[in-house]
Amino acid sequence: MSPPQGEMNQCVVLRQKNDIVLENRPIPQLAHGEVLINVKATGICGSDIHYWLHGGIGDFQLKAPMVLGHESAGIVAEVGPGVKNLKVGDRVALEPGVACRMCEQCKTGRYNLCPEMSFAATPPIDGTLCNYYKHAADFCFKLPDHVSLEEAALIEPLSVGIHSARRANIKSGDRVFIFGAGPVGLLCAAAAKAAGAGHVTIADLVPSRLEFAKNYCTDSQILLQRSQSGEPNMEFSRRMAKEILKTEELADAVIDCTGAETCVQMSVLLSKNGGSVVLVGMGGSVQSLPISEISSREVDIKGIFRYCNTYATGVKMLASGSIDVKPLITHTYQLQDAVEAFKHVKEGRDGAIKVQIVA
Amino acid sequence: MTFDVEKNLSAALIGLEKIDMRNMPVPELGPFDVLVNVKVTGICGSDVHFFKHNRILHLEVTEPLVLGHESAGVVVAIGSQVTRVNVNDRVAIEPGVTCRTCEMCKSGQYNLCPHCKFAATPPTHGTLCNYYVHPEDFIFKLPDDISLEEGALVEPLSVGMYAVERANVKPGDVVLVLGAGPVGLLTCAAAKAAGAAQVIIADLIPSRLEFAKTYATDTQLLLDRPEKGEPNFEYARRTSTQIIQKLGQQADTVLDCTGAETCVQMAVLLTKSGGSAVLVGLGATTQTLPVVDITVRQVNVKGVFRYCNVSPVSIVRAYPRAISMLTKGNIDVKPLITHTYPIEKSQEALLHATNGSDGAIKIQVINDQ
Repeated sequence: MSPPQGEMNQCVVLRQKNDIVLENRPIPQLAHGEVLINVKATGICGSDIHYWLHGGIGDFQLKAPMVLGHESAGIVAEVGPGVKNLKVGDRVALEPGVACRMCEQCKTGRYNLCPEMSFAATPPIDGTLCNYYKHAADFCFKLPDHVSLEEAALIEPLSVGIHSARRANIKSGDRVFIFGAGPVGLLCAAAAKAAGAGHVTIADLVPSRLEFAKNYCTDSQILLQRSQSGEPNMEFSRRMAKEILKTEELADAVIDCTGAETCVQMSVLLSKNGGSVVLVGMGGSVQSLPISEISSREVDIKGIFRYCNTYATGVKMLASGSIDVKPLITHTYQLQDAVEAFKHVKEGRDGAIKVQIVA
Repeated sequence: MTFDVEKNLSAALIGLEKIDMRNMPVPELGPFDVLVNVKVTGICGSDVHFFKHNRILHLEVTEPLVLGHESAGVVVAIGSQVTRVNVNDRVAIEPGVTCRTCEMCKSGQYNLCPHCKFAATPPTHGTLCNYYVHPEDFIFKLPDDISLEEGALVEPLSVGMYAVERANVKPGDVVLVLGAGPVGLLTCAAAKAAGAAQVIIADLIPSRLEFAKTYATDTQLLLDRPEKGEPNFEYARRTSTQIIQKLGQQADTVLDCTGAETCVQMAVLLTKSGGSAVLVGLGATTQTLPVVDITVRQVNVKGVFRYCNVSPVSIVRAYPRAISMLTKGNIDVKPLITHTYPIEKSQEALLHATNGSDGAIKIQVINDQ
């Protein structure tokens, strides 16, 4: 099968902080084990916005122009040598992080922790916001006909939810509390429900987000207040947790999707004895925690970093309908309007939850 | 650095109990490959089985096949992108190369990879040779104080450690191992290292139990053979009752390292309620089990296939963890090496392993080329 000749490969490139342009780049050549994907749907993630506005996240700093985007699905346009699991025309979800497959982390099944990980749109690896993207075939997952490419693009943030629910060890009947009702928090709620959670509570500062959450995988919603001027975080957290416990019970698992120190502190306080707190949100790198609760009540704190071994599960969940991600897709843009799309996500207007760029 | 390999003397299986020492081609060194001058290779029961029968289950030896998979050696060349070892490093070889891309590989259960290429499992040639090419992510450097002979025992030790992992042996546990061959003995050593308070071993052969008395076991049980015409399950029940009387209790876990139906049945009968009976030995494909113990007493039956990862605190690969168990005397494998043969006498080595004479436990083939 010959590669698309003379076709455009429009890419959304972050040249430097605050500077996104559309560029036409060559269609990539395939190496052994790779496929060429005609990308059809890409969701915009908070990290894409963060790179746009700040030029970096933690240790990952933009040193050269980079294509953005990593939540994608598309159609196989070309199959490289040695590829046996896919053929041209297959509709696939793209797992954006290609691990080395050889190190101890990879061999023990925790390839999300691979030190040689190449993750789309984490510098210096180009992302998927383009027409043609080349990718390792074993990180592409074939979709059943009835699962749309738009839904499949959401398997990426859904994977964060699946991985978090696994790390929290959520089982049937469990009570789960989630901080943050953005797309990640909502998909953690969906994953918790899929794992059999009996009651899911979600908390956020923004009333409209809770309005949405009322109809999406949650049983109760908590409107958080901001801390009072000058109030130390730990005091606020204790005060707020006490307030929450007037209407809520302690949870088997608490998942924080905000990264805010107060929410992390409250996560511990709202956990049952022997419960688990899973830290999904990434905020300040050093934070104060109520250690006395962690020890004396044996509340375990577990971080998560992306996900591993979730894509096949995500495909099965979407195929069976045990999770429905369609309600989260609120706005779509064409590739040429990418800058508008990014602005929309940044402003969060019109009840935006997941904004996608489609082709 | 290019390395011209002129001779690769290899022990090729060419018929029933027939080894031909011949020069085999050395595959090209890929960018992530390591060329190992194999120095020591232990003989395994599977090598013996292929030697005797030219097949195991559906795996037939139809073309000459180099045997051996329990090896250690010295690195003589490395591919252009190899970072894990250097030339002259002494290394142990983890013999099964997996595809690295399937669901099993990605989730850490790479021993279950359907595309695994395992040394001396047809059609993949084994390591009873001079020069062996192997990818670097299945090669492990040996510490200076571990000999190549010990390095060649890392393979069966990994089986023992993974079996103990599957059995979920916890500190203080009472562990029963059926079968006092090398795998049974190394399973005992691994159980001790995992904190088992009492390790009991059982076998039909008195001399094996004599040895076991000196190696990683607290109690040794001599099993008698079934009476003429005695159905397996009757033997298993009768013998289990006797053992429970003798020990005063069942075991927290029983690991069967024989594959014999009677022992598999005993493994279930002798496991405490809620425990696991772990099947390490590979015997007949279909066997009769006391299902009532599995259901009513919740005795789990778990298979073991080679090894992959173990989880002491986090989760680590079994092979390098087995290597680290050899240092500081945590586990001493040297007593298991009872006989050695030069590679030119591979046929004799395999015949000896087949008849097990002279108290043979682990027979190793030494290559001084």
